[in-house]
Amino acid sequence: MDYLWLKALHVAAVLVWVGGLSAAAFAAASKGSADEPGRIALLEGVRHWDQRVTSPALLIVWGAGLTLAVQGAWFPAPWLIIKLAIVLLLSALHGILSGTLRRLAHPDAASPPSWLHHAPVLIVGGVIAIVLLVVVKPL
Amino acid sequence: MSPQQRAAELMQLRRMRIVSLIEGSTLLLLLLVAVPLKHLAGIFVATRIMGPVHGLAFLAYTWMLIQTVSGGGWSRSQTLRLVIAALIPCGAFINERALARRQAMLEAAC
Repeated sequence: MDYLWLKALHVAAVLVWVGGLSAAAFAAASKGSADEPGRIALLEGVRHWDQRVTSPALLIVWGAGLTLAVQGAWFPAPWLIIKLAIVLLLSALHGILSGTLRRLAHPDAASPPSWLHHAPVLIVGGVIAIVLLVVVKPL
Repeated sequence: MSPQQRAAELMQLRRMRIVSLIEGSTLLLLLLVAVPLKHLAGIFVATRIMGPVHGLAFLAYTWMLIQTVSGGGWSRSQTLRLVIAALIPCGAFINERALARRQAMLEAAC
């Protein structure tokens, strides 16, 4: 596939993924009990979006991203290695959020771990670092 | 566990088993077909295709494992066993059996 088309696919998938990841983080981090009206419906809605849109977008992010790195001969540039490490951490955070949403969508669920309340900040920080690394390529 | 919770858990276990089988199968294809083709017949394209396919399958498998365990209901020792098996070659098949047993237990409890 043409490099620019692949890059466009990668960037589009990243935008969809980060949007869905942020929604999942805010939903999981939001305080409230399961018997609050509308809470279960909100969590279920975010979980369905995560299953049908955000998770497939993550697969496209990885597939297209690694292909771009190979096609563009970017390995082993330090900025790319650091970026990959951040994406790995964000992907793991996505997995944890996704599992937590599945758990929280049930009335008798235990509350999520307290550190997950910082997930939105971690995502914003990770995305800023990735954009700086990719655009400026300081290393 | 409520019926909806059980249904969601069963669906997750089914998906995780499928991804485990895909990960294990792509590793076997890579090791038993692609690598011999490369070294014995000089066909490099097999590893060039199967290498990234297995890499992506491993990423999906590890991600699903994190997602499954984060859903709760797993003890520390069970989680540790799943993670260790995920890191050894063909461990996905061991995990698939463990997941199948858990699925059978949940189905029996219905």
